[in-house]
Amino acid sequence: MALVEIEDVAVSYGRITALNGVSCSIDSGAVGLLGPNGAGKSTLLKTLLGFVRAERGVVSMFGAQMPKAALQVRARLGYMPEREIVAPRLSAVSFLALCGCLHGMTRADAMERAHEVLNYVGMGENRYRKTETYSTGMCQRMKFAQALIHDPKLLLLDEPTNGLDPEGRVEMLDLIKELAVKRQVTTILSSHLLNDIEYVCDRVVVLNQGSVVRDSTMADLTRLRDGVVELRVRDHKEDFRAAVEAAGCAWHDQYDGNVLVVKPERVTIRSLFEIAHAQGTQIRYLQPVRQRLEEAFMEAIRCAPVAGEGAPGSEKGDSRADL
Amino acid sequence: MPIYDQSYRTYEGAVHPGRGWWSMVRQELRALTSNRTFVVLAIGAGLHIAFRFLQVVVFDIAATKASLAFIMVLREFTAFHVGPRLFMDFLRGQGPIVFLMSIIAGAGMICDDFRNNLMEVYFSKPLTWRGYVLGRVTALVLVGLALTAAPGVLLVVVHNLLAPGWETLSSTYWWPLSIVLFSCVIVLPCVFGVLASSALFSSRRYASIAVFMVLFANLMCGSILPELLRRPNLHIVALPLAINCLGEQLFPTRAAAITLPWGWSALYVGMVCAGALAIICWRVRRAEVAA
Repeated sequence: MALVEIEDVAVSYGRITALNGVSCSIDSGAVGLLGPNGAGKSTLLKTLLGFVRAERGVVSMFGAQMPKAALQVRARLGYMPEREIVAPRLSAVSFLALCGCLHGMTRADAMERAHEVLNYVGMGENRYRKTETYSTGMCQRMKFAQALIHDPKLLLLDEPTNGLDPEGRVEMLDLIKELAVKRQVTTILSSHLLNDIEYVCDRVVVLNQGSVVRDSTMADLTRLRDGVVELRVRDHKEDFRAAVEAAGCAWHDQYDGNVLVVKPERVTIRSLFEIAHAQGTQIRYLQPVRQRLEEAFMEAIRCAPVAGEGAPGSEKGDSRADL
Repeated sequence: MPIYDQSYRTYEGAVHPGRGWWSMVRQELRALTSNRTFVVLAIGAGLHIAFRFLQVVVFDIAATKASLAFIMVLREFTAFHVGPRLFMDFLRGQGPIVFLMSIIAGAGMICDDFRNNLMEVYFSKPLTWRGYVLGRVTALVLVGLALTAAPGVLLVVVHNLLAPGWETLSSTYWWPLSIVLFSCVIVLPCVFGVLASSALFSSRRYASIAVFMVLFANLMCGSILPELLRRPNLHIVALPLAINCLGEQLFPTRAAAITLPWGWSALYVGMVCAGALAIICWRVRRAEVAA
């Protein structure tokens, strides 16, 4: 039995369908939830938490069915919400201690754990300051820390790098990656930032208009593109181009002076070198091209069935990915 | 593990879920004790308690030790007697302080959590909306009862200790129950009203103003309606008067000014509490079960 099982789940907010027949199964590792704004990522996380009740389908976590077993499930997962949180008149330590007590820890244990976790996320001495004086970055760290207070087996992170500076972003992603890889904490990371997902996750679920349009491993999404190589020649570029095109290859100039060559199956790498030699030039750089996550994402979004009026997410703003 | 190690550690301690509401109560009480305005009001309430304590002590000592002439003089001042009237006056005196303290402590309790997006965090823990409401209500009720029922019952105990005997015991055995009941009648509408306002408005300031405005309007209705309709019993439309009516039933000291059966007052106060609680539950439940 997988840790998270979602089967044909549909969720609506009034007349707006947010999720429509979503199915997936998550067992371990870091899974990225990708999708344009309004795709249903946050709704899916809230459905997993039991905040949103599915109209149809089955959500089960840790072998228990949601939302019936919501309390047992919530005791074992950590959730970092997207929106900024502030606990007025409380320091981060006190707030985390409260969160620990809500999980059923004793006050002493919760205090000790709060210090440990806040140190881990890099709050340092700032953990004693009142939370209303925190910067956005500190709030993000505190939100992350409260999700870790009880040592969860499953982490649900909703846009964890929102509002972080580049350095803070890398630090946050490193922490998430460490938890997922070294500590075996299953992580579901929802984001529309492809770089974040690519850095942390080993599997990606792409949502669009409330439906899963792609569910693949990162390796599969960023696989080598068949017959596409990137190369650079020393000189006689135009002669080489004519010869390559004559051999049945397509030629695409890149901005950095390199060239993308799409070759048919019969043209091998060796024959490219032979063509270069015949034209009195040399190939100085050649590398097979991997598909970028952006391309895979755009392809998944484009291939998704076009929804009509009243279709999932159709009333929730634009569908442009934040590339 | 060395103390300077800041890597992630697994938690191996015990966990006893299901007591989240009590954690909220303790956290709220801890936060209140660091609120200066709240502490000043608590001191004010404490002075009233100290005065009543002194009154009981002086009366009881005078009754047992002083000369007969002094007792005769003392007995002339009925307000000084240790009896049901003393407790009724004591609790009525604590009422406004409880009201103010409920506003200071409770006006921001729920709306601050909504405004600061804390609901999502709380409900991602093993805490239901019922636990949340129970925690918030219990914290305020404990504060209210700590200023009314607890010192009231303590005064009865002191009275019995200073004037021991079967006669004292037989005349005071029902006072603690009446004190607790009247304290609840005073505290519960304040607590539920303030928390309902906090659940409805987006800031503690608006919530406080709304409570004062509703109370003012209620008192106005209680003054105008009886004159307009020529029915004196309609005075109980004013909630403080309805509470007072119940107090007069619990501490029968003199003829009640309003002749309406006490059940109507109890029903009215109960309905106010139930309505406010329904508003709180409706708002908080929506935070946990969004759709």
